[in-house]
Amino acid sequence: MVSALVTTLVQYLVSGLVMLSAVLAAAWLVWLSRDLPARIGGARGVGAAALALLALWLGLVVGYAPIEQVQGVVQKIFYVHIPAIIPTYLGFALTAVGGIGYLRTRAESWDQLAASGAEVGVIFCTLMLVVGPIWAKPVWGHWWVWDLRLTSTLVLWFIYVAYLLLRGLAYGSDAARTFTSVYGIVGTAAIPFVYFAVDLAQGSTMHPSNPAREGLPAEMGRTVGAGMVAFLAVFAWLVARRMEIAALEARSPAARAPGALG
Amino acid sequence: MSYLVAAYVVTGLVLAGYALRLRAARARALRDTQLRS
Repeated sequence: MVSALVTTLVQYLVSGLVMLSAVLAAAWLVWLSRDLPARIGGARGVGAAALALLALWLGLVVGYAPIEQVQGVVQKIFYVHIPAIIPTYLGFALTAVGGIGYLRTRAESWDQLAASGAEVGVIFCTLMLVVGPIWAKPVWGHWWVWDLRLTSTLVLWFIYVAYLLLRGLAYGSDAARTFTSVYGIVGTAAIPFVYFAVDLAQGSTMHPSNPAREGLPAEMGRTVGAGMVAFLAVFAWLVARRMEIAALEARSPAARAPGALG
Repeated sequence: MSYLVAAYVVTGLVLAGYALRLRAARARALRDTQLRS
């Protein structure tokens, strides 16, 4: 009885820690974007924390998370696939926040936040889309099926790849930034659709239902929670670095990397 | 097991590859900014 209570409390603690990490990552990136040159020094600490958290997460995956009885060891792909979701959605949400900020103030720093969020969000979305089929093939027998969850996630990826391509084609002008700001804000409408696509599909999908970590065995819940926090730290560090590069390029347009996204 | 290894190798390659790309872009941007100032 007492041990069950402790287990439940720890699971809620892990869930709370993941939510807190997401809020902190978003708040830190918005705060950073307001005065990047003065505040970017803190990114080094975030990078070090991200590496330490990745090492902890990998240690838990290898030595702590149990081998699932039905799927076997391949189920451990779960600990990569699921943590990639939050940075994906958070990156695209930051694109909307940056877009709103830019439309209100016309400050380039908001636009840099929007572009950086989209680019790193696409990286994590790509990871999710690549790793998912590697898990699906041995377990469900297919690399890919055109069901609602998978297809809508692919559409979400295309929406933000198109956003980055648009930025690359129309680099620098206020009209282009205004257009991509609106595009980035409207694009977030796809996120709840993608998330709830599994429920909308009502069983006609290969994809498992949205994970309720409270329903997972404790060791699995803690390991995936550690993965989420680690990936959020990596995400925050990557977005900070991407914003720094965008700010440097803005000071010296010739420095813009050839073929750079955004 | 090979699927599991593939998934984690792909994850490492994607994240490390992007981080290295950012590092190179940052070095290039810093160099160019210093040259122009």
